[in-house]
Amino acid sequence: MNGTQLQRAGLAIAAFAALAGGFFGLIGRGPLEMLQAIVMAAAGSRYAVGESLLRATPILLCALATLVPARLGLVSVGAEGQLYFGALVGTGALLLAPAPSLQLPVVLLGGLVGGAVWALLPALLRVVADVNETISTLMLNYVASLLVTWLVYGPWKSPQSQGWPASIEFPDSARLPLLGDSRVHAGLLVALVMGIVLHLLFTRSRWGLVLDVLRSNPRLAPLAGLSIARQVLLTMAIGGALAGLAGIAETASVQGRLQAAFANGAGLSGFLVAWLAGSRVLPAMALALLVGGLLAAGDGLQMMTSVPSSAVLVVQGLMFVALLGAGGWRSEVARG
Amino acid sequence: MHLQLVGLSKRFGNVPAVDDATLEIRPGEVLALLGENGAGKSTLMKLLYGVHTPDAGRIEIDGQARSIPSPCRAMALGLGMVFQQFSLVPALSVRENLALAQPSAPWWIGRRASRLSALDAHVQTLAPGIDPDARVDQLPVGQMQLVELAKVLLRDARCVIFDEPSAVLTPSEAARLWALIRGLTARGLAVVLISHKLADVRACADRVAVMRAGHVVAQAPAHDASDAQIVEWMVGRTPPTVRAPRVRPAGAAIRLELRGVSAGSARGVDLAVRAGEVLGVAGVSGSGQTELAEAIAGALPLTAGEVILDGHRLRAPHLAAGPTPQLAYIAPEPLRNAVAPDLSLALNLALKRIRDLPFMPSRAQLAERAAPLIARFGVRPADPQARAGQLSGGNLQKLVAARELADARAAVVACYPTMGLDVSATAQVYEALFGLARSGSAVLWISEDLDDLLQHAHRIAVMFDGRVIALFDAAAATSAGVGACMAGRPEAVAA
Repeated sequence: MNGTQLQRAGLAIAAFAALAGGFFGLIGRGPLEMLQAIVMAAAGSRYAVGESLLRATPILLCALATLVPARLGLVSVGAEGQLYFGALVGTGALLLAPAPSLQLPVVLLGGLVGGAVWALLPALLRVVADVNETISTLMLNYVASLLVTWLVYGPWKSPQSQGWPASIEFPDSARLPLLGDSRVHAGLLVALVMGIVLHLLFTRSRWGLVLDVLRSNPRLAPLAGLSIARQVLLTMAIGGALAGLAGIAETASVQGRLQAAFANGAGLSGFLVAWLAGSRVLPAMALALLVGGLLAAGDGLQMMTSVPSSAVLVVQGLMFVALLGAGGWRSEVARG
Repeated sequence: MHLQLVGLSKRFGNVPAVDDATLEIRPGEVLALLGENGAGKSTLMKLLYGVHTPDAGRIEIDGQARSIPSPCRAMALGLGMVFQQFSLVPALSVRENLALAQPSAPWWIGRRASRLSALDAHVQTLAPGIDPDARVDQLPVGQMQLVELAKVLLRDARCVIFDEPSAVLTPSEAARLWALIRGLTARGLAVVLISHKLADVRACADRVAVMRAGHVVAQAPAHDASDAQIVEWMVGRTPPTVRAPRVRPAGAAIRLELRGVSAGSARGVDLAVRAGEVLGVAGVSGSGQTELAEAIAGALPLTAGEVILDGHRLRAPHLAAGPTPQLAYIAPEPLRNAVAPDLSLALNLALKRIRDLPFMPSRAQLAERAAPLIARFGVRPADPQARAGQLSGGNLQKLVAARELADARAAVVACYPTMGLDVSATAQVYEALFGLARSGSAVLWISEDLDDLLQHAHRIAVMFDGRVIALFDAAAATSAGVGACMAGRPEAVAA
C-alpha cells in the first residue's frame, strides 16, 4: 500500500465516520456510543465473532462466484440464483437417500454441481447465441429462488413441519461439521482456502495470464490460440459451483432444511463486495468479513440498544458510499 | 501571410518536444516540414495553431508578435489546420458540416436555408464530384479530406497546415490534392505540409524544413536538397539501405495459398505465395485487403474458400481456428487487434506462446526474454514492465513487429507493418520482414505505400471492391498502372 492509497483509505474512514455520525444524530443517538455498540455486537465476544463469520461465509463464496467470471470481463449477477439451485440440487440428492455414510459427500457434490449447472446455462447462452450474461443471470435468479419456494411449499414439504414451508430436516449424517462450539461451519474454511487458491491462480499462474489477456482484449484470442468460449464456460462453472456450495452449506448446517428465501441477499451482497474489491481476491475477502460483521451486528444491536436492526443496513450502505466516494478503493485488478 | 516562429520551446514533463525551434513560413509557398516520429513537427505546428502554448519563444504574423492561446484564436488570425484525424461530424451531411463551421453560424441552422447554396458552390470549386447531401461517413477518405479542407478555407484561412495528408490517399487522389495545394499557393496562401515521405516533397514542396529531436536542423529550397541529404538531416546519419530479396524465387514451393477465399468484403480471392517470395497487396483502404489478412490469421471467419499453409488446410468455413505459431501476423490497428493494452510489454511479447508457458510463469523470465526484442526494434519506453496501452502508435507497431517477426515462420501476413513509423524504424521492420523472406518464409504484405511496394515486393496484387483485379510483376509495374487498378480501372493500364 503506497502513500496515496493510505491517504484514500484515511479519507474513506473519515467520510464513513462523518456520514454514520450524522445518521446516528438523526435518529437521536450518540455516534460514538452507537459505533461502539456496533463493534461490540460484531466482534465483542466469541459468540459475536462466530455470528459475524457465519454471516460472512455465504457472502464471501458469492463474492468469489462473481469475481471468477469477472476476471474474464464477464459481469455475472447470478450468484444468488446459483446459491438457490445448489441448495436445491443438494437437497434433492439427500431425498434420493443413499446410505448414511455417503449422504454428506453426495449432498455437497449436489450443491457444487447444481450451482455450476445454473451458471452454465447463461454461459452457454452467451457462447452460442451471444446473450448478455448480466441480464440472463439476473433473470435466472428469480427462476431459481421461485423453484425453491415452489418445492418447499409443494412436493418437498415436510409432513413434520406442521404447515411451515420447509423440506425434511437434514439428518446428522448429512450435516456439515461445525467449527468448535460455534455455529460456524466448515464452509468458511473451504471459502478461505478457495480464496487463497484463486488468488494464487489469478496472480501467479498461466491461467491468470490467459484471463488477463482475454479481459484486456478479447480480439487476441485467435492470435494467441485461446478459446474465449472455453474460458467463459470454465469461469462461469467455477463461480457457479462456489455459489452452489454457499447454498448447500447454509442448508446443511445452520438452517438444517431447505427453506424459501433463505439466502438473505447473500448473492447480491457478494456481487457488491466483488465489485468494490475490483475483482481482486484479497480485498474481497476482507470486505466480505466486514460486511458479514455489520450484518451480524444488526441483530445484536436490536437487542442491546433497541435500535431497529435495519439501521445497520443503512450503516452498511453508508460504508459502501464512503468507500466508493473516497475514490480509488475500487482500483482495478493488478495487472501483469 | 508571412509567419516567423522564433526560438519556440515546449516541454512535456521532463521531455523537450520542441527545443528552440526557428522557422519561416512564406506566403505563396509550400513548406514541407519533415522529420521522424517524435521529432517535434506536429507539436511545433500545434504551438502555431494554439493547441499547445509555448514555454518560450514568439510567433510573428506579418511582422507582429502574436500570442495564440487557442485554436479559436488561431482561426481568427487566419490559420487553418487539416488534421490526420478529421474533425468532421460523421453522421451529418457535407453541407451540414460546412454550415457548422461557418464563422457566423447562428445557433439554429435551417436545413433548406438559401445561404446554404453558397456552401454547395464552395464545395464544388474544391471537389466537383462530392454530393453535398452525402453523409460524411459514407465518403471515401480522400473526399473527407477535401471536405475538411473546404471547412478550413471557408473561414478565410491564409495559412493552411496539412498533417500527413498523403498517408490515406491513392496516387491519383494525392495528385489531385497536390494540384489543389498549388492552387492555394497561387492565390498567395501559405501552406505547410507535415510529412515523413520524400515523395511528398518532390511532388509539391517549394522549401523543406527538417526537424530532429525538437530542433529545426535545416531549411532549404526543395530543389537544392537531394533525397539523401534530407534523409541524413532527418536521421542524423545515413541510414542502412534495406536489401529486399530482389530475385523472385519462381521455382520455389508454394507455402501460403488462398483458394477462393471470401471473408467480410473480400470475395473469391485466389493467391499463392512461394517460399522466399514477397507478395505485395495494394488497394485503397476498404477494398477487402484487411479482411483478407484477418481471415488468414483466424480473426475473421471465412464464408467460402480455404487457406492452405505448407500443404495443410489452415482456415476454411466452420473450421475451428486453432493456434498458428507457424504464422506471423501483423494486424491492422495494433491497439485494437494485436496487443493487450492493460498488460506489460513482456507479456504482450510472449502472447503467441502463452499456451506453452509453464504453469507458474516467472515474470523475471518473461522480462528477460522481452528485453532483447525491445532493444532490437527500439520500442520506447524500453521497460518490459511498462503497460502496452501507454505506448504511442509507432511504438505499438514496433512492439507487434518485435513479437511477430523475431522468429522464423512459415508465412508472414503483414498488414500496414510500417504505419506511423519513421525512416529508421521503417527500415528496421522491412529488414526483419524481408529477412524472413530470405530465410524461406512466404510473405504477404499489405501496404498503402505504393512506392515501397514497387521497390520491395516481387509481385503486387491489386484489390478493388473485395476482389484481386490485377497481379503485377513488380519489376515491370509502374505507379500509374497500379494506381489505375487501385481506382478500379484496369483497362486504363492497357490504354
